[in-house]
Amino acid sequence: MSGSADVGAMRWSTLLWLATAGGRADRTRIALTAVGAAAGVLALLAAATVAATGEDDGPYTSQLLNETGLHIGIVIALVLLCVPVLAFTGQCARIGAPARDRRLAALRLTGATPADVARVAAVETGLAAALGSLIGLGVYLLGRVLLGDPVTATYERSTEISSNGYLIEDVTGPALRLPTDVLPPVWLIALLVLAVPIAATVFALAALRRVTTTPFGVVRSQRVRPVQVVPAALFVLGAGGMALFAGLVRLTGIDGGVGRVPALVFLLLFLCTAIGIVLGTAAVSARVGEFLARRTGRPALLIAGRRLVAAPFAASRSHSALLVVVLLAAAIQGFRSHTLLSQRQSGNEFYARALDTVDLALVVAGAIAVAGLLVGTIEGVLSRRRAAAALVAAGVPRGVLGRALLLEVLVPVVPATLLATAAGILAARGVMGTTVQESSYSATGRVLRVVETAVPVPWTALAVIAGGTTLATAALTLIALPILRRSADPGELRTA
Amino acid sequence: MTSPPDDTGTDEGLLLAGRALVRSYGHSPALRGISVGTRRGEILAITGPSGSGKSTLLLCLAGILRPDAGEVRFDGRRIDTDSEAERSRLRRTRFGVLFQFGQLVPELTAAENVAMPLLLAGVKRRPALTAAGTWLERFEVADLATHRPTEMSGGQAQRVAMARALVTEPEVLFADEPTGALDTLAGEQVLTELVRVTRQAGMTVLMVTHDAKVAAYADREIVIRDGMADDGAPTSALRGALGRAGAR
Ligand SMILES: Nc1ncnc2c1ncn2[C@@H]1O[C@H](COP(=O)(O)OP(=O)(O)OP(=O)(O)O)[C@@H](O)[C@H]1O
Ligand SMILES: [Mg+2]
Repeated sequence: MSGSADVGAMRWSTLLWLATAGGRADRTRIALTAVGAAAGVLALLAAATVAATGEDDGPYTSQLLNETGLHIGIVIALVLLCVPVLAFTGQCARIGAPARDRRLAALRLTGATPADVARVAAVETGLAAALGSLIGLGVYLLGRVLLGDPVTATYERSTEISSNGYLIEDVTGPALRLPTDVLPPVWLIALLVLAVPIAATVFALAALRRVTTTPFGVVRSQRVRPVQVVPAALFVLGAGGMALFAGLVRLTGIDGGVGRVPALVFLLLFLCTAIGIVLGTAAVSARVGEFLARRTGRPALLIAGRRLVAAPFAASRSHSALLVVVLLAAAIQGFRSHTLLSQRQSGNEFYARALDTVDLALVVAGAIAVAGLLVGTIEGVLSRRRAAAALVAAGVPRGVLGRALLLEVLVPVVPATLLATAAGILAARGVMGTTVQESSYSATGRVLRVVETAVPVPWTALAVIAGGTTLATAALTLIALPILRRSADPGELRTA
Repeated sequence: MTSPPDDTGTDEGLLLAGRALVRSYGHSPALRGISVGTRRGEILAITGPSGSGKSTLLLCLAGILRPDAGEVRFDGRRIDTDSEAERSRLRRTRFGVLFQFGQLVPELTAAENVAMPLLLAGVKRRPALTAAGTWLERFEVADLATHRPTEMSGGQAQRVAMARALVTEPEVLFADEPTGALDTLAGEQVLTELVRVTRQAGMTVLMVTHDAKVAAYADREIVIRDGMADDGAPTSALRGALGRAGAR
């Protein structure tokens, strides 16, 4: 580096070059940021397309698309799918970032300000996300062409025959696999393609706001106490609102069914709950960590507890997507119990099939969320490798470090997962009710009697969700262990 | 380069001895057959230019790195062939290590950092923290007990690190540029304390430094160049050590 003292005039290109001069970690960070942005844009464009699809479009091979009433559900699902995708992108933006920040901080010896350093990081993220956005748009446009040919399929067509009666018939003929015949308005496409990189940049700036890197690479961050009242209030408002949703809809005078306004209210309540849980995770992590660290004499528990106190938002950030997926999954299982019961007599398996599709989406979202969690865990391990190497050098058994990592990940997951599962099922039962009316008919079609049947709580499914999440998280940490082992390299201890 | 004729069975009197140590990183050799020995209670300074292999030597002697060739003996027993778990145990029970910076767990308080080696040895929380407090007092940082390393100055953090390295009262302290990140005054203060406490306890100290003033605190100094003892004779340092040991 030249001895130039005037860094203010230093070229941006130099700064960006420095930001990416670290090799593999930097390339991985940029590539994954771009991939995440591409996936996010793709999901949003798909949502916009489905939203723009009307009665006159199609027909499609999937009943979910032919039934315009179900579109709002697909749109919500796709938008929610963006949550783990964007969270994943946020995690990826941290790969190799400490090393990059150290390199940039070295510039400060020659006069760069912390703001310069933060700006470089934000610009890097923004550029990578913009590239990804364009790739996402390209994939979307290409997909429309490649998947645009109709195929022969059998699909259900429902025709309105009276004010509240439909004729449903099976039709075989050409149908489209996806709504490739619909293009959302160009302004919306442009907006979405722009929104993702802008959001990524804002997130990157927000993440760097509290961290200042000294020229010696020592990251000093202020101790932040996570707020507790706001997440609790959001959670109570959201979960309570969802539990009372049916009553709420009646109060607002809008008739049931999945109208747009109730759906919007529901979405807002759901978001409140999700944000409450995610922010609350930070508060719970810090509390539980403090409680353990103040009492334990076990080294692993002490280290894990103190880490949770020191960086409660690290836990909630990397777990946020997973928790949203858990919340959604639990809600959908409640919805499923209700639907299956109420459809038992009609023999209509349409919703059951639709729910299978939703389950698939959930598994995909869960996998993305888990991948994000893994990236976050590994990043945490790598950023602490000097301390880990020093501990190993001092004779701390590697098993202690491994257990500390496992505890650090699991301690916040267990309560947060239970909370999310409970909120999800509560939401479903609030919206759908806890009973179903079953009518039995006589041969002439007269209603003989109406029986109120209680909708069972899907305990097994809920146990699978909560237990599976905990197990998957633990398994992930095991994947990160060899990386922990290698990161504690004595080479880290050399005086650099 | 032949081995000296008297290099078998003469490690008696030496608490720690490395013999004909070779260690490379990939294809670049860092140690090229150096031998070093130290008596119990001695303060030995290892000096030499940057990149000469001082840190590598220290890591090998402390059982943190394994040499490619040669051997390391501690208290008469060969340790470089021990498993990682055995060497790890040795390090946490009989050795103490001190680096230039960044060795404290940033999330733990000063007292917890110092108590950690005791907790690992199975000492209960309360007595471990009490002992940690005593050591913090000894290095005049007792008032920082509940502070985190990120809230301390470099000199303060280094005092806490010394307390952690010494809390188990190890037989050997390995220190790599312990004052390298401090200004002259702070460095001198830390060093004075280090020498005072280790002398009092009769500990053996191996200290890497490139500062002649720091080396002056030591009983003896060996100089490394390019992974060998200064005059190019790999065993001269060992001979010197043996000579002193024999003269006792
Ligand atoms: N992990 C490593 N990977 C590759 N090369 C290394 C590694 N550690 C040390 N080296 C090389 O080995 C040689 C000796 O390094 P070492 O750190 O032991 O030197 P040193 O005497 O401690 O230097 P300094 O005074 O700068 O700390 C140097 O040439 C160095 O580049
Ligand atoms: Mg060195």
